[in-house]
Amino acid sequence: MSLTKSLAPDEKIKAGKLGTSLWKAGAGIAAVFLGISVILGSMQGDHWKRFLYAYVIGWTYIFTICLGALWLVMLHHIARGRWATAVRRIAEVVSCAFPIVFIAGLGFVIPLLAGYQDLYYWAHHDAHDPILNHHLHHKLSWLSPGFFSIRYAIYGVVLWLIARYFNNKSREQDESGDPKLSEQMRVASAPAMILFSIVTCMVAFDVLMSMAPKWYSTIYGVNFWGSAMVGGFAALALLILGIQRSGRLVHSITPEHYHDVGKWMFAFTFFWAYTAFSQFMLQWYGNMPEETVWYKYRLFGEWQWVSIAMLVGFWAFPFVFLMSRWTKRIVPSLVFFAVWQLVFHWLDLYWNVMPQYDWEIVTRGNVTLNAGPLMGNIAYHHVGFSPVDVTVWIGLVGVLLVGIGRNLKGNLIPTKDPTLPMSLSHEVM
Amino acid sequence: MSSAEATAEGGHDKGKAREAFRAVTRDISWVAEAPKPHKAWLAALAISSAMLMVGLYSIYVLVTTGIGVWGNSNTVGWAWDITNFVWWIGIGHAGTLISAVLYLTRQTWRVSINRAAEAMTIFAVMCAGLFPLLHTGRPWFAFWMIPHPNDMGMWPQFRSPLMWDVFAVSTYATTSILFWYMGLVPDLATFRDRCAARGQNLKALIYGIFSLGWRGSARNWHRYERAYLILAGLATPLVFSVHSVVSFDFATSQLPGWHTTIFPPYFVAGAIFSGFAMVLTLMLPLRHLFNLKHIIKESHVEAMCKIMLATGMMVGLAYATELFIAWYSGNLYERFAFANRALGPFWWSYFAMVGCNVLAPQFFWSQKIRRSPVIIFVLCIFINIGMWFERFVIIATSLARSFLPAQWSYFSPTRYDVGLFVGTLGLFFTLFLLFFRYVPVIAISEVKGAMPEAHAGKEHH
Amino acid sequence: MAHHDHNEPAEPAHGNGDGELYGVLAEFDTPGELVEAARKVRDAGYTEFDCFSPFPVHGIDEAMGIKRTILPLLVFCGGFAGTVGGLLLQWWCNAYNWPWNISGKPAWSIPANVPIAFETTILLSVFTSFFGMWILNKLPQVWHPFFRLERFGRVTDDAFLLGIEAKDQRFDLARTTKLLQDAGALAVENCHLETDPSRKNMPKWITALIVSSTAFALIPFAVAAKARNSHSSQPHIHIFPDMDFQPKYKADTASDFFPDGRANRGEVPGTIARGNLAPDELFYRGREFPADRSQYNECKDLAADQPCWTRGFPQQIDVSKAFLERGQNRYNIYCSACHGHDGEGKGMIPQRMAELGGAWAARDLVTTQTVITMPNGQLFNTISNGFNTMAGYAAQIPPVDRWAIVLYVRALQRARNALTDDVPPAEQNNAASQQLKAPEPTK
Repeated sequence: MSLTKSLAPDEKIKAGKLGTSLWKAGAGIAAVFLGISVILGSMQGDHWKRFLYAYVIGWTYIFTICLGALWLVMLHHIARGRWATAVRRIAEVVSCAFPIVFIAGLGFVIPLLAGYQDLYYWAHHDAHDPILNHHLHHKLSWLSPGFFSIRYAIYGVVLWLIARYFNNKSREQDESGDPKLSEQMRVASAPAMILFSIVTCMVAFDVLMSMAPKWYSTIYGVNFWGSAMVGGFAALALLILGIQRSGRLVHSITPEHYHDVGKWMFAFTFFWAYTAFSQFMLQWYGNMPEETVWYKYRLFGEWQWVSIAMLVGFWAFPFVFLMSRWTKRIVPSLVFFAVWQLVFHWLDLYWNVMPQYDWEIVTRGNVTLNAGPLMGNIAYHHVGFSPVDVTVWIGLVGVLLVGIGRNLKGNLIPTKDPTLPMSLSHEVM
Repeated sequence: MSSAEATAEGGHDKGKAREAFRAVTRDISWVAEAPKPHKAWLAALAISSAMLMVGLYSIYVLVTTGIGVWGNSNTVGWAWDITNFVWWIGIGHAGTLISAVLYLTRQTWRVSINRAAEAMTIFAVMCAGLFPLLHTGRPWFAFWMIPHPNDMGMWPQFRSPLMWDVFAVSTYATTSILFWYMGLVPDLATFRDRCAARGQNLKALIYGIFSLGWRGSARNWHRYERAYLILAGLATPLVFSVHSVVSFDFATSQLPGWHTTIFPPYFVAGAIFSGFAMVLTLMLPLRHLFNLKHIIKESHVEAMCKIMLATGMMVGLAYATELFIAWYSGNLYERFAFANRALGPFWWSYFAMVGCNVLAPQFFWSQKIRRSPVIIFVLCIFINIGMWFERFVIIATSLARSFLPAQWSYFSPTRYDVGLFVGTLGLFFTLFLLFFRYVPVIAISEVKGAMPEAHAGKEHH
Repeated sequence: MAHHDHNEPAEPAHGNGDGELYGVLAEFDTPGELVEAARKVRDAGYTEFDCFSPFPVHGIDEAMGIKRTILPLLVFCGGFAGTVGGLLLQWWCNAYNWPWNISGKPAWSIPANVPIAFETTILLSVFTSFFGMWILNKLPQVWHPFFRLERFGRVTDDAFLLGIEAKDQRFDLARTTKLLQDAGALAVENCHLETDPSRKNMPKWITALIVSSTAFALIPFAVAAKARNSHSSQPHIHIFPDMDFQPKYKADTASDFFPDGRANRGEVPGTIARGNLAPDELFYRGREFPADRSQYNECKDLAADQPCWTRGFPQQIDVSKAFLERGQNRYNIYCSACHGHDGEGKGMIPQRMAELGGAWAARDLVTTQTVITMPNGQLFNTISNGFNTMAGYAAQIPPVDRWAIVLYVRALQRARNALTDDVPPAEQNNAASQQLKAPEPTK
């Protein structure tokens, strides 16, 4: 509503040492857990395969959190948002972690370039066998380590430039208070949104969907985006809480803002379920072998329990409880669901990636060939949980915290944004 | 009736807010209260009812003769009928989006158009429902689709997407009508009180019956607002589900060009896209004729143009994704289906689709164009046509070139295909014109609630 | 609602006439002032009061102390009922009452039931919120005392009103009016209930309209009730004729066209229905045309083109243990009811008939000499076409199975008439075997 407030006079709005302590803590976590992971990964005895699979999941996880933050920033501008002004700087800070996230991603891109064959089947030399893989043959120039890495670099640069643009303009406004800057950001947010959408879909296709290179689904990118937004908003809620716990922004960010973050989390929980169901139901109904193979490995055997956990944990439970106004307004309750959804967002990525871990070796004559993922008997197809799955994840979250901490400086709130007074007095109807 | 009193009692500031509210009531009620309808309105009504007659005649011939009067064949079993069905349903979705999604996301500019957009939804769903109903061949047996105990011992086949359609579309129609009516009640009470004050007792009685004795009580408003919010919250997933279910009609099949997982969100985006085009097609002329430019403001029209640009880009992205995955999949049939769309016998409809849906909205990048009603109107017509072609491309090109080359065929509409489509346009515009004349066309109470005066009080602003 | 017809214009600040006092109504200039006044009235301890405004005024719920409605909870319950109901409906129809194979999917396919369960959830939630809201608001309510005040007619236009009812415990006309005036009211009016009883009545024409429209509405029900309780020789009404009346003959009807007056046309002589051509005499009818007839007692004098009953089996038949077991199985199904499992003609039906005092003749197949000596072909023919009161089984039992039964009957006969020599030598000293002797043949 149009009642307005200004910043409370005793509000602490400077990041101060918060950023430094955050990135130091993140660096510590990253060093310890990635160190443990390297040890565990080498003990796995599978030539780093498990480690790299877990690494792709962990990298996608921190990437999606930045993606969610960037999307909120752009949406806020494109829709002339009001409520999010108070939390927008925090989202900008998160989105500025893109460079570090993309550097961290080199952890799986460089092995790929160096000729590592066991992560992506399309990088394996048996993928070129035209009889074994005639549906793969035509796209191996697209799915080649070289071209993949070039695209990876393009995605990184595009997202980094978008995030940097909004962050710089926003901080510029802190100095000058020029309302024209809001206008510029609003104009820029439209093409940025288009680039963002294309990059998000392509990352989903390249990094995750190509794990099962013979399988395809047009909605995959949209579904990935839905899951990413759940993670992004959940992480934002936690970060806001952390900043408030340090005594900063205690007056500016109110349960009203948590409520709205919770609403978006709820909306995307629903949206994720909607797209996931669409993908599943259409492939189940169509019942075409080249499509159902992907679900065959997830809905039977050990993986069916993970699928059920996803249905209940990532959708049903949070969906039913987040429907209520109070679960979103009472901060501890919202934080509980934010942590819950962050765990299940990870499980979603795990569920997307790990069933491809088991490849089948076939023998034709005297030649042993690798038929790739989703090719074996589901009875021999295990979840095969390994501690390295979790330690890599935590280690990469540490990397994300470094990225966030490095940018957590100056004002924690866009002090001179013309919409700030409206955001401060925001009330959810 | 009370301006004299207000002036007498009012000080400098006193009465100013009330004056503003009164002006809103007057300006909106004027449309329905003018003793003689506008000449343009009469002319439009004459044209649209003539179109409706064409449609009624086409239905008469269809029902008395059979589906054979259409151009449908064994190969192209769905053609104009289902194209029109999907097109109309899609148009309806903008109304729900404006009334529900924009409400939830607190876009206050929606109040100037939500009433008309919701009415448009209802009329569009009515038109849409006609097509599958008539395509059954014996519409009088349509009640068999509703599960009821019967002496044949038969039940509907709930695993069929066409059955899902029955439930989705009827739920959607019911919800849209209830939502629309609920929003109307306070405004019908306004009409009731205005008619009573002028001594038009019969009109007051009719508006009185439909306004249910509404008296603007704060205790009533409290529950009313909560119910409105809940209905908006329910209508949002509903609108997603309806067009998703419509897309399932195609996507659950194995036909190349139909079976693709992106259909649900892509259909929803397309529906909103075409719906906004239709909202503007209707509202731009009416806004001009009935002097509503200070209520349906330039900025509102601009916002709608931007939404069309955004949803047009989403549709474009979906086209691109489909093409990319058709290549990526390595599936021979999939690749052929998409090559056939662009280069096959229906190539002209493919280019009409891409031209109207992806290229035409690009003009909305320019603010100058977003502010010139004539150009917007023309572009909206293009988008309406383009979205019609999108459904036609999906339906006809895929069916005409399915797996068996011996079965390949071509589709040409007959005069009854065209006649029925024209007839639904007539039905739609006739109902809309009647609505415009007899019902509060703009949500009076919501416009007032969104005015700055509504928040004037002790607090500064 | 057309209250103005019956009312004189209200007198400002005094109200409307002299009936019992219903309450007072105060007007305020802006929504903000209304909120402030509502807060003052609530703080003064009033409970029976309400605010009236053309749109929902922000902050008034809190100022008036309105409790949050339970509507969301009701809607949640309604939606839950919709989900469960939608799933149950689909399960009952498609998986329980009439299971039906659709593209090989399970009868109860949950993924395919999700869309409809979703729609029923939404539908019931919508109904609960829409109708629940009106019920909780106690609407429709066609009449309210405040409607009698002309000022109240502006509540849907520009008036911000606050009404306090006289039934409130703290209500005191002078004090309450003062409170409202102090809160900044533009005007305060009294509202009286109607005293003249004739004005309380509904206008006669409305009563007449309701009565007559109710009567008209009952007509269809009356017609339906009459039709259900009476008989008519008329055919039922065909609103949509579909293809019910076609220019064609139905079976067994009369015709003027054909000389025999029947619509049915007989078969052309020699017509054989599809699949019924049985050219193999031996296999289908058990007959053969032997060149050498010396072994064929009953037909050795007949001409060469006359058939004889075969004594062996057709060449299609593989006389094996499996075939014999097939014969046993068929015999037990079709024949044992009369002839008994052992072939002695003492099946359940003859036994039961004897018990009831009647007689059901069933031939003893294993000791009757004519049956024992009957050629296989004739036995086959008897099974196919019947004998005396026994009906033919050609329609029920395919030819191969009839041959199997013939074989089994032969086995029964052989078993019933076995001799000690038939027992393997190792078993011959067995007591049971000792009792075997040649049976006394009956006629």
